[in-house]
Amino acid sequence: MKLTRLASAFALSAAVCASVFAADTVKIGVQAPITGKYANEGQGIDNFVRLIVDEKNKEGGLLGKKIEVVTCDDEAKAQKAAVCAKKLSNAGVFAVIGSYTSGATEAAQTTYYRNKILQTSDGTSDSLIKRKYWTFFRNSFPNSAQGEFTADYFVNQKKYERIVVLSDYSSYSDGLADSVEDSIKKLGGNVAFRGKIKSGTQNFTAILTKVKALNPDVIYYSGYYTDGGLLRVQQQQLGINADFVGGDSNDNPDFLKLAGKTAAGVYLVNVPTPDILPYEAAKKYLTAYEDRFNMKPPSIWAVVNADGLRAVMEGVEKTNSFDTKKISDYIRNDMKDFPGITGPFNIREDGERVGASLMVYQIQEDGSYKVSFNK
Amino acid sequence: MDIFLQQLINGLTIGSLYALVALGYTMVYGVMKLINFAHGDLVAFSAYVGLTIFTQFFGASAVSFVDVIIIFLFTSIIVAFVGVLLERLAYRPLRTAPRLSAVVSALGAALVIQNGIMLIWGPNMQIFPADLLPSTIWNISGVIITFTQVCILALSAVLMIALYFFINKTKIGTAIRATAIDQDAAKLMGINVNRIIMIIFVVGSMLGAIGGLFIGLYYRSLTFDMGWVYGLSAFIAAIIGGIGSIPGAMIGGLLLGLFNALIAGYISTEWAETLTFVLLIIILIVRPTGILGEKTAEKV
Amino acid sequence: MNKTTSIATIFILVMAVFPFLVDSAWLSIGITFLVFATVAFSQDIILGRAGVFNMGHAIFFGIGAYTTAILNVQFGLEIIATIPFAIIFPVIIAIFLAGPIIHLRGDYLLVATIGFNIIFEQVLSNDLFGLTGGPNGIFGIDVVRIFGYELWTDTSIYYIAFGLLIITLLIIRNLDNSRYGRALYYINKDEIAAKSMGINVPYYKLFAFALGAAIAGAAGSIFAIQYSAVSPESFSFMQSVMFFAIVLVGGSASLPGVIIGTFVMFVLPELFTEFKESRYLIFGAAMVLTMVLRPNGVWPATFGNIPKYLKEKALKHKALKDNSKGETE
Repeated sequence: MKLTRLASAFALSAAVCASVFAADTVKIGVQAPITGKYANEGQGIDNFVRLIVDEKNKEGGLLGKKIEVVTCDDEAKAQKAAVCAKKLSNAGVFAVIGSYTSGATEAAQTTYYRNKILQTSDGTSDSLIKRKYWTFFRNSFPNSAQGEFTADYFVNQKKYERIVVLSDYSSYSDGLADSVEDSIKKLGGNVAFRGKIKSGTQNFTAILTKVKALNPDVIYYSGYYTDGGLLRVQQQQLGINADFVGGDSNDNPDFLKLAGKTAAGVYLVNVPTPDILPYEAAKKYLTAYEDRFNMKPPSIWAVVNADGLRAVMEGVEKTNSFDTKKISDYIRNDMKDFPGITGPFNIREDGERVGASLMVYQIQEDGSYKVSFNK
Repeated sequence: MDIFLQQLINGLTIGSLYALVALGYTMVYGVMKLINFAHGDLVAFSAYVGLTIFTQFFGASAVSFVDVIIIFLFTSIIVAFVGVLLERLAYRPLRTAPRLSAVVSALGAALVIQNGIMLIWGPNMQIFPADLLPSTIWNISGVIITFTQVCILALSAVLMIALYFFINKTKIGTAIRATAIDQDAAKLMGINVNRIIMIIFVVGSMLGAIGGLFIGLYYRSLTFDMGWVYGLSAFIAAIIGGIGSIPGAMIGGLLLGLFNALIAGYISTEWAETLTFVLLIIILIVRPTGILGEKTAEKV
Repeated sequence: MNKTTSIATIFILVMAVFPFLVDSAWLSIGITFLVFATVAFSQDIILGRAGVFNMGHAIFFGIGAYTTAILNVQFGLEIIATIPFAIIFPVIIAIFLAGPIIHLRGDYLLVATIGFNIIFEQVLSNDLFGLTGGPNGIFGIDVVRIFGYELWTDTSIYYIAFGLLIITLLIIRNLDNSRYGRALYYINKDEIAAKSMGINVPYYKLFAFALGAAIAGAAGSIFAIQYSAVSPESFSFMQSVMFFAIVLVGGSASLPGVIIGTFVMFVLPELFTEFKESRYLIFGAAMVLTMVLRPNGVWPATFGNIPKYLKEKALKHKALKDNSKGETE
């Protein structure tokens, strides 16, 4: 009985082998949280990639070859990301867009590096560039840039006097909060309290009660929207009279849902939102996205990843090859001011994206964003 | 001092929620000696059901007091029905089977419910609307207490007192206690054990459903796997209070909530859950029968 | 050669040539199967043979994996050098954790192991002493290097895992034929009778824990090598439930049973990717169904049970006796 089961397993696996990829297609991988708590971000990334790929295929493909998209769901979990890295590598992709979270990106990085597969991600954790893998380039702006910008805003613009900095325990959020704290101290500002919350515990009244006693004028949270929204609600419930400023990962429609009425007045620090982008490519692609998927991209993150993909495709066409080392060299050394949807796209020698343009928005009563400060 | 009071209120609120859920576990274990692993997921299920009833029939806008009662009632009935179904399909056929088989069946049932939730409502996080209950807040000399918290504390207290009377002062309650002590003797006394077990699942599930709705109202974000570890914590709370004892489950739940809040407030939010579990294990090792449990001799 | 041995032999032969028959995607699955089968067998020693309700086995798997990860990434040890530690640490922890709870009654011990598992997960997530890497775990684990030769291809990792499984099966075979194995069997069948025969029950139970932990730790090490990354959610309480279920649904103390159980839990979903989303639901339903229909597992062990032909002989004998009795009365 067991033997027939094994036999059928082999038969099936033989069938799988038989579906050899035809010689005139290339594969691009998407590694993103398609399910799980950041699902709408992951789905946004996947959607945008497919939008761009379909457009390219209509134009004749990449160097004449049709592009096939292979998606792997990493659920924003590091272990699943490592599994996805293996899966996508085995599937024969030459480049991967992903992931949304820095943690999932980093878990997969080494496997893609060993397999010489290009990888681009919106993860902002500075540690992503630490190993300087030639296969990796960032398509968003790093935490250190955001930290400096936020500190400048707090100390020089708003002149806050008692700043509370909160993060969760992920390397991304912790790193961002550290970056903000250091930059504030460098500018002479006062960080009254630096604390951490456990993501997902939902009840933050313990730490907020501690914070209340310090009488802060601003609470800065560097983690994700799933916790940020609840922090804001509970801040108001406890009667803490302070501004609430969220880092880039609070920028998501679910933040508004969680915070409900208390979302009004919250400030968010982030790169320009899709509808504010003044660039040519922006209007074209955003309209195309809305037409096809009947909704706007969930946030800027899907868009920067799309830029990453477009940069890779540009690299293929300009080097006229799928040699990932050549493409990587092109992107780092020869590509200047590539017209991205999110602005001029420039990648440094170590894979870092340079030229950050950040803004501060305030959430209005009706849920819309109003630009409150930009450099 | 008011930090302490604040944490106390938080702790009692969380504890009441744990107590409501723990009651379902303790009643089932008391009579059937079975850890109903699926109970926690049933509680999560009730939060989702409540959310759906609210958004589908009331348009997710502010509702009146009567509407809230209707939502609670309907959710409890649906969940009680599923609870009885669970007993019939997964537990009744295994009454005479080895203990471990029933444990595996319970785990399997938990997976079915958990993933059933995922398939019906999707894997994304769902958010409980903020205005099902009024968001009035009272500030008593620095200590904040919300309307929702008052509801939870009040209703849980009422339910627990009602349950206590039900178990100790009514005929059915006595029958339940008898079945818990010795199923076969109870049968000989003319008690319909199948009916008793069904009643236990109905009552336990309804309490769990009310707990689940409050969890949705209090914590606001729902994920399909939220019942899994939550239920487990509630079960361990029931053990601390004395598994099989209803006052024990109540005390255990409240204690767990208080531990959690006080450790989070005074020691560390990072290690609150861990230290709580360490405490639970120490109690398990030192006094496994719990605070109100009695040592029963095992017949060889 | 009895049935179990012949099945084992066929299984080993097939798995030995497996890498040459399939493509890289399936090779990855094959490695996963071998690693998890090894862990399942180690859980079988504790749960299936000794009858101890251990629902925290993922702890030992995880300690092995994290030991390799930490020693390699944080302290720079060669992977080969980390393996002895990945075996010893779980054993130490097993004795440390199981010691205080081994005297507890079945259900209480079960809950205690669950509690330990949850604490373990938290310790990993909270980046204890800055070593365990937080919720994202540890990545960038090196490759296995022997005398300067790098074994980083999936094929080589496969054979390392395969080697471990063979060793595990040999250990279990030796165990069954030894004094320890017999003691565990008696303890499982009737603990009080075993005690009255003079068997030191806590000692043997702890032994089972230690042995199971050691094997799981080694498997964990290979897991870490395969993915170059470890993170807390792979060693969660749910994972322990999986191992628990594999042993009971497949059949305790039964080699074909554990293999079937591992196959169903970890390989079947890969075959039916259309049902990927509902795979846990199908497992859950399968668990309930299997227990209701076959409470002793899909392929229960036959060890220690009266062989069928003897049973039939006894029944025939009894029938004859009853008939003759009936005539005289």
